[in-house]
Amino acid sequence: MTDTPIRTMGGFADARDHRHEALTSRTYGRALLAEARADPRIVCLGADLSQPTETFLFRDELPDRFFMMGIQEANMVGAAAGMARCGDVAFAHSFCVFITRRVYDQVAMQVAYPRLPVKLAGFIPGLTTPLGVSHQATDDIALMRALPHMTVIEPSGPEQVAAVVRAAVDHPGPVYLRMQVASARPDETTPLKPFEIGRGQVLREGEDVALLACGMMVEAALSAADRLADRGLSVTVANMASLKPYDTDLAVSLARRHRIVVTAENHSVIGGLGSMTAEALMLAGAAPRFGMVGVQDVFAEGATTDYLAEHYGLTPHHIVQKVLSLHAL
Amino acid sequence: MTDRPVVSDLQVREVIVNTAFNCGESAHIGGSLSMVELLNVLFGEVLKHRPAEPEWPDRDLFILSKGHAVLGYLAILHLYGYFDADKLATFQTNGSDLIAHPVKKLKLGIESSNGSLGQGLSFGLGLAIGMEMKDEDRRVYVMLGDGECNEGSVWETAALAAERGTHRLCAIVDENHFRNDGANTTYANKIKLAGIWRAFGWNVIEIDGHDRAQIRDAFAAARAHEAGPTVIVASTIKGRGIDFMEANNDWHHNRITSAVYSECRRALGLEPVDG
Repeated sequence: MTDTPIRTMGGFADARDHRHEALTSRTYGRALLAEARADPRIVCLGADLSQPTETFLFRDELPDRFFMMGIQEANMVGAAAGMARCGDVAFAHSFCVFITRRVYDQVAMQVAYPRLPVKLAGFIPGLTTPLGVSHQATDDIALMRALPHMTVIEPSGPEQVAAVVRAAVDHPGPVYLRMQVASARPDETTPLKPFEIGRGQVLREGEDVALLACGMMVEAALSAADRLADRGLSVTVANMASLKPYDTDLAVSLARRHRIVVTAENHSVIGGLGSMTAEALMLAGAAPRFGMVGVQDVFAEGATTDYLAEHYGLTPHHIVQKVLSLHAL
Repeated sequence: MTDRPVVSDLQVREVIVNTAFNCGESAHIGGSLSMVELLNVLFGEVLKHRPAEPEWPDRDLFILSKGHAVLGYLAILHLYGYFDADKLATFQTNGSDLIAHPVKKLKLGIESSNGSLGQGLSFGLGLAIGMEMKDEDRRVYVMLGDGECNEGSVWETAALAAERGTHRLCAIVDENHFRNDGANTTYANKIKLAGIWRAFGWNVIEIDGHDRAQIRDAFAAARAHEAGPTVIVASTIKGRGIDFMEANNDWHHNRITSAVYSECRRALGLEPVDG
């Protein structure tokens, strides 16, 4: 009937439901539910994304403390603030773009300014989605860290999510959690990573180069460190999951002990991890050779995460190239 | 009006299914299928446009505010001649500009980038005011979802457009009664969507969004109404045309496997594809 070509190669032999299959880890959903079982102050607000934010677990087990607000993020954030004012610890959920950029003034005036215990839980950070620019949060760290009273956390991966959720509950003020839904749960041999607000974590000790990374770029930095070791460079890698308050002491001490410092983030190099590190080092008078790996001053596009990482400079290779260019100076 | 290809609703559905299957990834299928008749009548009989000259200055403008339904939109643009099948076959592949939400590309007939819900109607209002200031004989059509109408920004535009009497603006709500999580419960009991639009002062036309005659009449009535903006609240069935997808929200965003693809063709009454 139409001349649209049929590529029978393109399909899949099975009929599994991709929509749910992709959400097998539920690391965040389980962690939040575990906290909520023990702490009746915790309430959960959603804006029509219960599956991709894993909050259907909360909805199904604690329906009296679950609030589906509809597709209205600004309303959700304002209401979360009101509930927090009444003593609730309000976790509000959406994609990173919608829980930050879309609702920025509500977050500023209703959450950050009155320093209320609203926890903004965002998913699909940076370029981890094929859904395009409308869904790609490359400016959220910059936006949220510019707000007084706000705490900003990006765990390195599922192994750090439970600790991060615990920290968000315990912290008395507003928190922004920038998280990636993992396709697999950390297996039992993966040690769970601790987390403390305001503290980074050195994962690997070296002497020549310090790589400071957050989120999915922690793994990329570890991989880059291996490759650099092959070239005779000894590399320190730190997970800077606490983006605000930033672990300035750690960043500065690493800068003083290494000739080269490179930051790596799944975010714009404007206003994110690279910027905050540069600020910290300059203010402390530390002057290593310094580079930033991250999304440049561009909007990206919709494609697979691997493709986008390659095209927008977020791979271990890009970190290696940045280090080598500084090494050659 | 220029010569237009005759495009059947079945053709549109076939292209939607083929394209979703070909890309091998999850796509927004349910909300694409629900608006097929609305878009097909609009592009076939109502919209002033020239696919061979996509930037024709006198064209009417269409904005897909419910941008996640881009698959249905691309099927229409392809069938009306904006781009060929090879281009369409790049849908949701790396490097393509045909991705999971509309990306503005006038040469392809895509007037604006969408994907963040609740923004298309404001943009449409601005376009209509711009046309009005130049006294241009053009109109703006904005397609929204009923889930999208949860967003408060829709109602900011609604109030302002009605107060201004911006009659070049026509909104179409594809009311398929679902959103990502399930039923659109915001308008389930105490308030109804059409009633809200009416309260906001719009000319409200309620139709069956799969009935071509009703759709045609609604667009004609919208054009004839010069006192203010018109909204066509079209009751539709999400996943319409493929029996097992109808009102089944598992097909809001999902992928079509080989087995499912065969079932889709059967449901549409199409011949099986060998291979």
